[in-house]
Amino acid sequence: MLSSPSQLPAKGEFMDKQERLGERSYKWIYDLKSWLIMLPGIVLFMFFVWGPLLQSVHMSLYKTRNIELVEFVGLQNYIRVISREDFTQALLNTLSYTFWSLLIGFMIPIFLAILIGETLKGKGFIRTAAYIPNILPGLATVLLWKAFLSAERSGVFNVILGYFGFEPMVFLSQSNLVIPIIIVTATWKGAGATALIYMAGMAGINPELYEAATIDGAGIWRRIRYITLPAIFNLSSTMLILQIIFIFQIMYEPLVLTGGGPDDASLSLMLLMWRYAFGGNMDYGRASAVAVLIALLLLVFTTIYTIVNKRKTNWDM
Amino acid sequence: MKVYFRLISVILALSLLLVACGPAAPSGGGDTDTGNQGGGDSSEVTVAPPSELDDISTDVIDANLTATISLGNWPPDTAPDAERAFFEGAKAIMLQQYPNVTVVPAYFSYTLTNYVPMALGGTAPTLFQPPFTDPQLLISQGLVADVTDALEEFGILEKFSPSFIEMLGDENGRIFGLPRDGYVLGMHININLFEEAGLMTEDGLPDFPRTLQEVAEKGQIIREQTGKAALAFMASETQGGWIYTNIAWNFGAVGENALLIQDADGKWIANLTSEPAIAALEYIKSLRWEYDILNADATTTTWGSAHTLLGTGEVAMNFAADDAVDNPTAQNGLAVDKFAIIPFPAGPGGAYALRGGTCYMFAPNTTTDQAVASLGFLRLIGMLPFLDDDIIAGMRAGAAASRERGSPVLPRTPAWNDEEFIAMQRSIAEEYSNVDMRLYDDFFNSLTDGSITFRAEEPVFAQELYRTITNAIQRVITNEDADVFAAMERARERFQEYLDDEIN
Repeated sequence: MLSSPSQLPAKGEFMDKQERLGERSYKWIYDLKSWLIMLPGIVLFMFFVWGPLLQSVHMSLYKTRNIELVEFVGLQNYIRVISREDFTQALLNTLSYTFWSLLIGFMIPIFLAILIGETLKGKGFIRTAAYIPNILPGLATVLLWKAFLSAERSGVFNVILGYFGFEPMVFLSQSNLVIPIIIVTATWKGAGATALIYMAGMAGINPELYEAATIDGAGIWRRIRYITLPAIFNLSSTMLILQIIFIFQIMYEPLVLTGGGPDDASLSLMLLMWRYAFGGNMDYGRASAVAVLIALLLLVFTTIYTIVNKRKTNWDM
Repeated sequence: MKVYFRLISVILALSLLLVACGPAAPSGGGDTDTGNQGGGDSSEVTVAPPSELDDISTDVIDANLTATISLGNWPPDTAPDAERAFFEGAKAIMLQQYPNVTVVPAYFSYTLTNYVPMALGGTAPTLFQPPFTDPQLLISQGLVADVTDALEEFGILEKFSPSFIEMLGDENGRIFGLPRDGYVLGMHININLFEEAGLMTEDGLPDFPRTLQEVAEKGQIIREQTGKAALAFMASETQGGWIYTNIAWNFGAVGENALLIQDADGKWIANLTSEPAIAALEYIKSLRWEYDILNADATTTTWGSAHTLLGTGEVAMNFAADDAVDNPTAQNGLAVDKFAIIPFPAGPGGAYALRGGTCYMFAPNTTTDQAVASLGFLRLIGMLPFLDDDIIAGMRAGAAASRERGSPVLPRTPAWNDEEFIAMQRSIAEEYSNVDMRLYDDFFNSLTDGSITFRAEEPVFAQELYRTITNAIQRVITNEDADVFAAMERARERFQEYLDDEIN
């Protein structure tokens, strides 16, 4: 409260305050508008993302009877889940899925993108053909592959082999082959979409670089080696981490093709979670514990990626 | 402030990941038909022209009963006209006799995976049809309604066989469902392949295997003579263990050698390394590596695909039950005169066969009035042990429809202890028979002559037991050098750990 004229602010000072107040209220209104625009998204996120997230973490700490929380057991669900042999198996398998996915599935979209980029005729056709598997429903493609990979004489690949006089082959019953085969099916479905992202990245490369390289006598391989690949390096780093996140959540492919077999050779962490929840025991508490563990593992990968990427950015500067 | 933002970022990242991983959002796994193991075709219904369904007695149900019931397994638009007309007719009669009862069709076919979310969300149909593998789990999880009062009101509780009361009740004697039909596990035969292999008797009948050893030996002849696999073996997910248990019983895994036993303190013991248990897995291993008679893709073969293999002539034999005769024939094209079912082959430890079936159960929020109204509907369609002219007409129409679609018309494994009802079912099956009963006599005689001892599924955590044993089976049939004892010891350890966690 102002008690004497000497305490009144000078005219200029008063104006500054008025301006600042006006600016603040303008900013507040501006912020309010932004918040209102975001409100539907935030509400949906809270309802569909944060709610289930917190509930999942909460549930993982309880003994459950269907979705009812019966008794608080602390970290007991985590200990039980981790101490079982199938968790170790599923973790190793998931790392194996990741390895094969990077080996088989990482380079193919880049190759496809370059192929489409370098193709002069039929570019639209190749682009569409590469993308079509991504349009098909996931489950339908897996069922399709199951028919192709059946080891019976009626399996499509075996019919083809039989036509050329070969004996029928066993595909999904071989423990050492089952994960690479599943990765091939997943790659077939997803490579086209990833290739489109790479193509978008390649579209941003200055064509003058290619022209200059061509004038200097660089062939296609050298253009790819020295222009294309360095230009999409950052993009491919992002795609790498996204691919790891995606493949860590592989579930319906092994569920439909092998059920996790033979002898858990294709059991993934997500499929293990599905088994706890829907495989006959309805143990949602432990299923939630597996879900949280998968999330934590992915968080570790993401953090490592972020740190490495940050360092690289610093070095670039 | 920066710290808060980081914290929020971390939570946000975690939440995004978890939603993808969370159990609340099952991502289109699809039904790999595990739910149907032994459950048979849960959409099977009795068919009768609606005009014949009239004048049903109303003595049990109060004519003023007020309830709304939704009935699962209602025939969809793609079902045969007669079947849909029958259900619509029954619905019309319900409305006529009980004007305050509203019948809502539910095109719901039960699997554990699709039922649980609906039950928890309060949207499950009032009446649904799970196989007998699931009631105890559903009861223990509080996912079905107690209908003891309604069943008592109808006076049908005394017609339950004791084994069904055990399967459908809890420890307090409360009952949560009623049987739809029963099955006994046996072996389906594709006669074409037996003929091709020259395995026929002087009477012109197939020379069926009577023992597990004969399955191996005759299977070997079939493979050598036809070039095809002799036996479909469903060794995927939980189904390999399901078949294994019956084989193990016949090797002597019963009594003190049972796969699951209780010690003096009531503690459950996984007894998977007993001599018969090991011998049973040795036998399965020999079918792959010594006799080479199993279908090539056994580790991915499911209940449904095994029927397809038999129906399409890819295999000659399949361990399956009498409630699934429609699958290889009408659904997969095997002519009824080229199909047979025989008793589960005996082993050195005896002749046992799994007895199970499909039942009716009720959504957890079902009231007694709704349960009574649902039972009224079941009575109308001939699924309760009551007989009158209309119900008999319905049974006849059902048999006629089966014959028309190329499915064997056979006597059914009784679901009720009601001599008159069973006799009527049998006489109608004879009247509409479209098969040479000599191909089925061994099986149906074994149900009554005491040559086979019936057993129910293993008493606790059967699905987990089956899954654990399936892993052992997969190990020994995909690796010739795999050690059977080691595989079973590993299964024993895993399942014992599970039992200790869950129940001991």
